[in-house]
Amino acid sequence: MSSRYDRAITVFSPDGHLFQVEYAQEAVKKGSTAVGVRGKDIVVLGVEKKAVAKLQEDRTVRKIALLDDHVALAFAGLTADARILINRARIECQSHKLTVEDPVTIEYITRYIAQLKQKYTQSNGRRPFGLSALIIGYDDGPHLYQTDPSGTYHEWKANAIGRSAKTVREFLEKHYTDEVAGDDKECIKLTLKALLEVVQTGGKNVELAIMKNGQPLKMIDSDEIDKYLAEIEKEKEEEAEKKKAKK
Amino acid sequence: MASIMTSNYQPAVSAVSTGTLSQPDWLTSELSTGTTIAAVEFDGGVIIGADSRTTSGAYIANRVTDKLTKVTDYIYCCRSGSAADTQAVADIVNYHLNFYKMEMGEEPLVKTAASVFRTLCYNNRDSLSAGILVAGWDKRNGGQVYTIPLGGMWTRMPVAIGGSGSTYLYGYADANYKPGMTKDECLKFIANAISLAINRDGSSGGVIRLACITKDGVERHVLTGDQLPKFYEDS
Repeated sequence: MSSRYDRAITVFSPDGHLFQVEYAQEAVKKGSTAVGVRGKDIVVLGVEKKAVAKLQEDRTVRKIALLDDHVALAFAGLTADARILINRARIECQSHKLTVEDPVTIEYITRYIAQLKQKYTQSNGRRPFGLSALIIGYDDGPHLYQTDPSGTYHEWKANAIGRSAKTVREFLEKHYTDEVAGDDKECIKLTLKALLEVVQTGGKNVELAIMKNGQPLKMIDSDEIDKYLAEIEKEKEEEAEKKKAKK
Repeated sequence: MASIMTSNYQPAVSAVSTGTLSQPDWLTSELSTGTTIAAVEFDGGVIIGADSRTTSGAYIANRVTDKLTKVTDYIYCCRSGSAADTQAVADIVNYHLNFYKMEMGEEPLVKTAASVFRTLCYNNRDSLSAGILVAGWDKRNGGQVYTIPLGGMWTRMPVAIGGSGSTYLYGYADANYKPGMTKDECLKFIANAISLAINRDGSSGGVIRLACITKDGVERHVLTGDQLPKFYEDS
């Protein structure tokens, strides 16, 4: 039955599905994982870096994009689609600044991206964007938003998208506490730990970025990531020791 | 340089006097930054300077104007001509350069900024009245000054002057500019230049605003009242 209702996107199926949108969400589930964590004074974005072929230049694969001085975006899904959306969002950030003399709020730019995605779920002959985005930034405080191919958006304290997103989200639900949120380093470590649930260990496989109030987006370099990873390893060992000692 | 200085200015006296009830010119004249602006390159950056008078006819609408406008963290423009036109153009250039910075992931070149200015000034040359100096620092070519007078031509010059007061400065600039001046010599040169023009041009006055742009960013100064460089005045 479903095969008759997934051609032209504008058609609903009898049981109320928009199949193209759902297929787009499947495409997202195939993309590499991205995790976002919002703390009290910091927002952290972590993405899984897909292994590059031997002859490929490593640095050209950038999954965390800067939209404006105070907004950044990470995505899971079709990279080419993401490029288009990022471009449109960057233009909107500047256009907003030119007309109202104020930088965009994170909610505004998220809404803009979401509306753009929705438009493509209701247009003739076009397919939806095959990506979900995690948008972080600062206006009056730190924010983390998520959009998906259907055009909906929500604010989150911590979330994951892409491959094994469900596993990572469950991990975040278990380990995200107000205590963690209050400490910058803990937020970074939580993001890393969440990513490590689905990614092979090593600073080479993850890309991490943080944003603090009034400061530009900072990409954490792989040496620092390795330091955090070492700390996490140590904590894990200490936990294991404690458990053994209890026995 | 002088060949493009066609007068696009509105005459200051615009009312037709049919009796005693003609409107004062400052009610009907366009807001102009009849002005003095100057910029000079040195090894490592640029110094830019401007006066601070905005006039509406004979009325000084703003005596503390800031005509040195930021377009990026390392590139400023000096505005002369119509205040509205230059503000609008500078805002649009700021928009383009911010977008460029997001796309490229690095600061735009001074040449790029000047090119964007030129595109706007040339394509809208019939509607605009804007003489702009673009000056800044980039990592490829260091300090640079570009002048974009009325028609939308652009050219790089080691020292550039503009605005109505600049007519009184050609001699001073030619006689006193030497290549290879230090940052402090350049500061003195610009401050003296603006001060001399303020003494002679009615459309220039107020304070002297200075800015120094290097790889370390922008340093701004203001010279007020007594701090203005003094020259011979017989009284």
